[in-house]
Amino acid sequence: MNTQMKTGYMLLFVGTDWHKGLSPEEMQKVSEQWMAWFKRLTEQGKAVAGHPLERDGKTVSGKNGRVVADGPFAESKEAIGGYFLLDVATMDEAVAIARECPGLAYGAKVEVRAVRAECPLAGEAETQLTEATA
Amino acid sequence: MGIQQAITNERKIMNAMKMSKDGYLLLLHTDEWWNGLGREELEKYVAQSQAWLERLMASGKVKGGQALARNGAMVSGQNGHSITDGPFAESKEVIGGYLLLDVETFEEAVAIAKTVPGLALGRKVEVRPLTNVCPAEARLEELKREEELATA
Repeated sequence: MNTQMKTGYMLLFVGTDWHKGLSPEEMQKVSEQWMAWFKRLTEQGKAVAGHPLERDGKTVSGKNGRVVADGPFAESKEAIGGYFLLDVATMDEAVAIARECPGLAYGAKVEVRAVRAECPLAGEAETQLTEATA
Repeated sequence: MGIQQAITNERKIMNAMKMSKDGYLLLLHTDEWWNGLGREELEKYVAQSQAWLERLMASGKVKGGQALARNGAMVSGQNGHSITDGPFAESKEVIGGYLLLDVETFEEAVAIAKTVPGLALGRKVEVRPLTNVCPAEARLEELKREEELATA
């Protein structure tokens, strides 16, 4: 696999509307805190990638991808607003980092998921195949 | 911290950011659609998927991608005081994996999304542009502009 890392954890920042009610000062503050947080994790070698996602996008589904729908996706409180890829060894450590997220106090949610070594598509199906034939 | 150390750190950060500076993220939704497949269908799908991914990676358009384990945690509340186990939301909204694409245009990213194996079986793929702007910061700029317009 052509991947930057074989294992680790992914933080998915859930919700794209939580900052709507904040004052400009609060927003400035949380934005600075967030960047400082990412900078520190990167310096510590714990974050290997991370990015906010543009709010607009598309969802592709149906045979040959014939259904192309505009975003936003699901309810905005469930939409993914950004991600960090973490190079840490344990789920506990990943959760500890998630708990430092500056948006939590304002209603942001962070999903913590272990990254698997296999490819995204075949890996999933192979697991099912193993279970089905066990 | 010495200047050299500061420069080294800065460079490390820039390199880490560069990895994901531009491009698009495909979020592969999962709803356990494969549960309805028989062994032969599943084998066919796995073979198709591997061939698809190999082709895509050979084209140099993928710079990262992995499956996500189904179990995890959801952290919320002040100082992350609330930690719940997965699965998250309804299973059809759970993200099963992702691919980071190194392509120039949104159209190209959507075109690749259309080739994801499993679409015919009910799979959904979300295509999202990566950005360098923090969403809270973008909203702040928006507010500032609104204020300027109101006072202009």
